[in-house]
Formats: sequence, structure tokens, C-alpha cells
Amino acid sequence: MTHHLFRWTLFGLIGMTTTTLGCGRWIDVIPSSTLQQESVTRSISTDERVPLVMDGFRMMQNGAPQNPSAEIERRILNTVQETRLFSTLVPLGNNVATLGEKAVTARITFDETIEPHSGEAAWKGFVIGASMFLLSPAIELNYDYATKATLELERWDGQVKRYEAQSAGTAHYNLFGASPIMISELKGQVAEACLTELMDQLVRDTPFYMASSSPLPDSPILTVTVKSRTPLRSPASLSAIPVSTSPAP
Amino acid sequence: MWNRMHIPGWLLIALILGSLVPTVDVHAGDLSPAITVGTQEVGLTVGYMIPQRLTVEHKTNQQGPVFMPSWMMTITDPVGNGWYRGQVSIGAEVVYIQFNEPVLTHGIGFTPKIKYTFVAWDRIRPYVEFAGGPFWTDLAGEIPEESVEFNFVLSAGFGVSWFITPQMSLNAGYRFQHISNAGIQYPNIGLNASLPFGGFSFYF
Repeated sequence: MTHHLFRWTLFGLIGMTTTTLGCGRWIDVIPSSTLQQESVTRSISTDERVPLVMDGFRMMQNGAPQNPSAEIERRILNTVQETRLFSTLVPLGNNVATLGEKAVTARITFDETIEPHSGEAAWKGFVIGASMFLLSPAIELNYDYATKATLELERWDGQVKRYEAQSAGTAHYNLFGASPIMISELKGQVAEACLTELMDQLVRDTPFYMASSSPLPDSPILTVTVKSRTPLRSPASLSAIPVSTSPAP
Repeated sequence: MWNRMHIPGWLLIALILGSLVPTVDVHAGDLSPAITVGTQEVGLTVGYMIPQRLTVEHKTNQQGPVFMPSWMMTITDPVGNGWYRGQVSIGAEVVYIQFNEPVLTHGIGFTPKIKYTFVAWDRIRPYVEFAGGPFWTDLAGEIPEESVEFNFVLSAGFGVSWFITPQMSLNAGYRFQHISNAGIQYPNIGLNASLPFGGFSFYF
């Protein structure tokens, strides 16, 4: 009887230890937004601020174009809004500010790279199952995610500035620690780090976007070259999208 | 006590599956299931064991209902680009068999399980699965094929999940099941069976 009790107690302890230790997970992000020493700050008077108009938003995933995500667009706009650099933000598709008013137009590319290590996870999962889950605390699974954000801002006089930031992260987890929330956390933290770096670059250029930095063109009518999109050869070719807005003669 | 619990298998299976029908959300819409890494699945599968006597040494005509509550976790995002695009999940299930024939006995086991689900057809998702683990049964000693109560149960099969909502699916399929004691004690001819099954799963 005592022997029986001891055996089941031992099984119970092993089971509890396995499931408890097997619940671990942590996320590494490079660069970490929380580890930045200090944020960049500049001052701008309220009447010097101009509106920002979203003009284009592209999303890529592992090099393939995707449908733009309203959620990510909102997140980017919120991050821009938090800098307080612009007076108002006009999302994609909304009415553009009245002609003649000074405004900055924005084109954003958000490129995600996802590496879930599926083959490795499948083999490790097989081993964990074959061990009756006893190896689950010892076997670590990984999920990689990286983003590259490109922000192209065009001032009312046609001058264009381009900003680029990237960050990457890995979620390390044991089998019982996996959850869809973990992947959302990873993506959220990586995107945050990327956007923080992007906004730091933007804020450094505060004087460039002040209303007094440049007068309106003599003629408020602008011409825009209309053409179809150039086929993509590689993700790198995105950086070569021409901007062809110029003041009318 | 156990020997008095003779529940008709067909009745239990019909009751469990029938109880699901009113809960089916017919206007679930076209929402596809969003199953990602870390999505968990709990389910109940019920089937009926049909003997497969593969050699002349297999004499027993074992039959009875099988109940398999299970837990699984998806460990990969969809891999591949063609018809074989799918996801791997691992987990475990408890296998309970009520042998109605040749004599009313019972068996219970715990089997780690691996499953590959084809995701190319949206809400209709075929899958293949493999499971194996320890199995205890008091049928041993009552039949010529098995001599010891501690055995192993192995099963391999295929099925299809129909997602009636993004979080719930009805499942049906077939498994081939083998029970033997891995040579711990002889005779160890083993029992083989076909196992058509149905069930449901919740995903979260």
C-alpha cells in the first residue's frame, strides 16, 4: 500500500514539475525600445505645426505584398501623433486638406519577416510527445519576427525625406508556454521598438517640418505623374519607388 | 461494479453527437478558423471498435465503444504552398474502451499524439494522426491473444474537421488500432481493430 502511494506521488510530482517548468517563455527584441537611454525631444510652437496626410501604405510579409492592415496603419499614426510634431493626421483615403494649405504627405512601407522554425518545431514536438512530455521543460522552441518600416515624407514644397528603421525579436518558449498571445506580444514589442526608432529619426528633423521652414510654392496647383506600379523584383527594389510630384510651371 | 456497467455503445455515441446539433451556429458566416502557433484544442472523440483478425492466431472478436477525450497544441504555422499546406500539432489523449465482446471488460490508456492538418481547404480540414502509449485492460487473461494487463496501444488514422465556427469543429474519420504488450509477457499476439469515429473540438 505504502509502495503504491509512493509510486503515484512520484508520478504526480514528475507531472507537476514537467507542466510547471514546461510553461516558460520569454521574448528577446533587438533593439529594445525599453532599453533606450533617452528619447529625442525638440520644441515646436503649435502654429508652426502642419497636417500630415497619409498618401500610401504598403505591407509586405516575407517579401510578398499583403493587404494593408488598418490596425497597423492606426498604430503607426498613433505613434506619429504621440510625437506631437503634426497638427492633425489624415488617414489613408480621407479627405485631403484644402489645396494651398501647407501639409506633409506620408508614404509608409511595413515589411514583416516571419520565421516560425516550423520544421524544427515539428521534430521537437515529436520528441516531446515520444518522451510522454517529460522533455518539454528541456526543449526550447523559437519563433522569429522582424520588421522594417520605411517612412517617406514629402513637404508641401516637394522636398522628400526618407526614414528607415528595423527591429527583430525571438520568442523562446517551452511547449506548455505557447499561446497565440505570445506571438502577439512578440509582434507588438518588435513593432514598438521599430516605430520608436523611426520616430526618433523623425523628431530629429523637426525644423524641416515647421510651417516657417519653407514658403508655399508660388502656384498652389501641383502636378502628379500618374503611372502603374513597377513590378517588384525583390524587397530591396521598394526603396527605388520614384516620387514625381512637382510644382506646375 | 465495473461488470454491471454495460452501456450500449451506439446509444452513448448517438447521445453525445446528437447533443451537439442544437449548438451548431448555422449563421457562423464565412469566418475562417485562425489557428496559429500556440492554439490549443480540446475535444472528445467517440468510436466503435470493429475487430480485424489479421492472422489465424487472432481468434477474439473484441468489440465495443471507445471514448477519447484529447488535448492538442498547434506548434507550427502553415507550411508548404500546395494541397499539402498544413500545420503540425501535438498533444495527448485518454483512450477508454469498453469491451462488450467477448466479455464485458474495460481498458484505459494515455497516448501522446501527433497530427498534421491540411489547411488548404479553409473550413474543411483533413488530417492524419498517430498516437501511442501505455494501456491497461482487464481483457487480458480472458482471451488467447493477451496475457498481461499492462499493454501499449498504437493507432494511426485520418479524418476531416469541419469548422462550424472559427473555434469549433466536428470531426469524423477512421483509425487502425493495435494493442499488445511489446513482448513483456507471452503470448503476445495482440489485438487489431478498425475504429470509425466522430467527435468535436474546441480551439482557443
